[in-house]
Amino acid sequence: MRPPAIGAPLIPGLPRIYWALAALVLAGIVSVPQFRTLSNLANVLDQSSTLAILALGQAFVIAGGMIDLSVGQLVGLITVVACMLFEAFPGMTLAVVAGCLALAALIGLINGELINRLRMSPLILTFGMLSVLQGCIFMLTDRSIGQAAPSIGFLANGRILGIPVSLLLVVAVAVATWYGLQRSIFGWHLLAMGNSPDSARKAGLNLFSLTRITYLVSGLCAGLAALLVAGRLGTGFPNAGNGLELDAIVAVVLGGTPLKGGKVSVAGILGAVLFLGVLSNLLNLLQVPAFTQIVVKGLIVILAILADRPRRLAQPA
Amino acid sequence: MSAVASPARPGFSLPSLDKAAVWIVLAVLLLLAGLASDAFFKLNYLTNLVRQAAPVGIAAVGVTFVMLLRGVDLSVGAIVSMSAVVCALVMDGKPENLWLGVAAASACGAAIGLANGLVIAHGKVSAFIVTLGMSIVVYGLVQMGTGGTARGIVSPGFREVLNSRIFGNVLPVLVICLLAAVAIGIFLQSRTRFGRGVYLVGANPEAARLAGLPVTRITVVAYIVSGLFAGLGGLALLARTGVSGTNPGAGMEFDVLAAVVLGGTTFAGGRGSVGGTFAGVMVLFIALNLANVAGLPFAAQLTIKGLIIIAASAAHSWIGSRGGGRSQQ
Repeated sequence: MRPPAIGAPLIPGLPRIYWALAALVLAGIVSVPQFRTLSNLANVLDQSSTLAILALGQAFVIAGGMIDLSVGQLVGLITVVACMLFEAFPGMTLAVVAGCLALAALIGLINGELINRLRMSPLILTFGMLSVLQGCIFMLTDRSIGQAAPSIGFLANGRILGIPVSLLLVVAVAVATWYGLQRSIFGWHLLAMGNSPDSARKAGLNLFSLTRITYLVSGLCAGLAALLVAGRLGTGFPNAGNGLELDAIVAVVLGGTPLKGGKVSVAGILGAVLFLGVLSNLLNLLQVPAFTQIVVKGLIVILAILADRPRRLAQPA
Repeated sequence: MSAVASPARPGFSLPSLDKAAVWIVLAVLLLLAGLASDAFFKLNYLTNLVRQAAPVGIAAVGVTFVMLLRGVDLSVGAIVSMSAVVCALVMDGKPENLWLGVAAASACGAAIGLANGLVIAHGKVSAFIVTLGMSIVVYGLVQMGTGGTARGIVSPGFREVLNSRIFGNVLPVLVICLLAAVAIGIFLQSRTRFGRGVYLVGANPEAARLAGLPVTRITVVAYIVSGLFAGLGGLALLARTGVSGTNPGAGMEFDVLAAVVLGGTTFAGGRGSVGGTFAGVMVLFIALNLANVAGLPFAAQLTIKGLIIIAASAAHSWIGSRGGGRSQQ
């Protein structure tokens, strides 16, 4: 039986975030001349690619009613490890890429396995893991280290026929996520778990295996994002992933996926990532001081979570 | 969720193993530390250790209340930074500004706590994300205020008094401050209606609401308490370091959270105590001190901190499930 997509809206309309995005873009076009250029658009897309992939990975976790706070530091760790390996083994780029993605997936799997075995709240476990991974990064290095392979740089900054390569990568991941969450049996089960873990278990779903796969996917996406970061920076910067987990969660929530899980919209997440990217781009073009930008970012986190307030709170779960 | 574990009298009907665990760990660690180094049991060393723990310990007392309430406060690190910076800026090196600086720093902490509490209580949203967002806002504000460089000078006398030792040059004043904070916390927790309300709301918010408890007010007050104690922690940090820097409290929320969870206050709310938190703070600092003595780098200490958070939470949820109490979340 083909499951209907419970994540897709009944009436095919745009997620709400696109209205905000349109307003922001309009304001930008009217008020900032540099914003209108094509190269700036490509720039925004380039800069948003890391966050997009991280947010898509987080979408799996949040759709299942869980959370993964360790992805930011995981990005940092993989960035450092990848650049160290790229420098140590020049010419073995593909092997290093595969190894890094495997390592990221493995750490994700460890998260999922620990949540299963220790019966811990994902929030606490991944919060502890955040600190553990941060320690691992600084045990490897306390300064930028290694050098990214040129082909990775092409992945992050290159253009094919004027289209950013990173954009193609994001589109591929987004299509895979859309299929995985909104069209496949796995997504159907995961959303059921997010809606009500108890009912899902009574219906005979294997929650342990769902949790494992979900965190593995989240880790894998973090690995992919880390390769993009490595390509952009060209070197393994230990603080590269600081705070990215929060950006990813904010993007998912802004995109109309509630933190409680059970509902997801890939299109909404992409819109939210673009919204955040355009906002930061505009603030930069308007030469708003960096510290003010930090405050704005924090306020958006709080506003996003307030906008996430479930309207059907009164209903029994 | 069964109502079995809801403590009618705080700290009395809890499983004894749950409460004693952290003190046992503390005793074992003290013994280990004594074996590792002869210097450990010297009075100077011990009081120094407690003195080091003062900023984190004072902040942890406040965070205990929001955790008892099933909340969490990740903005304490940023509040500690803000408090230290504001205090130094207001003092400006003038002795007459001393109390003004102290008052301004405390007020800032309480104000941020109030903002946290209002958003969380009225918005009914995840305390985790709100306080994380707030920590970014506060961090940005502090950076805007300092312009990214260390500014402000503490008043003469501030550091001297807080860093002195009394009772025949033995007991550091900062240690007394920490003990006083713990004593105030224990008083709030066990002798006031607010304290009892915190336990009841944390054990079962819905039942507390139906029973007519002012859940919103209790929540807001708990976050104010957390912010205020974080502000005082910032003052203690400023006294220890003497310069405000730009972000002296960076990452301190991790220490605080690790200490509180170690002390037996779970993320599930309704159980734990300020006394346990004090023991948790000491366990954390002795463990980190031992890591130092063993020559482990700072990075390893970060990893240890993370493992402590995971292990302590896992142990408490295990004990909780054994004792027929609530499981985590």
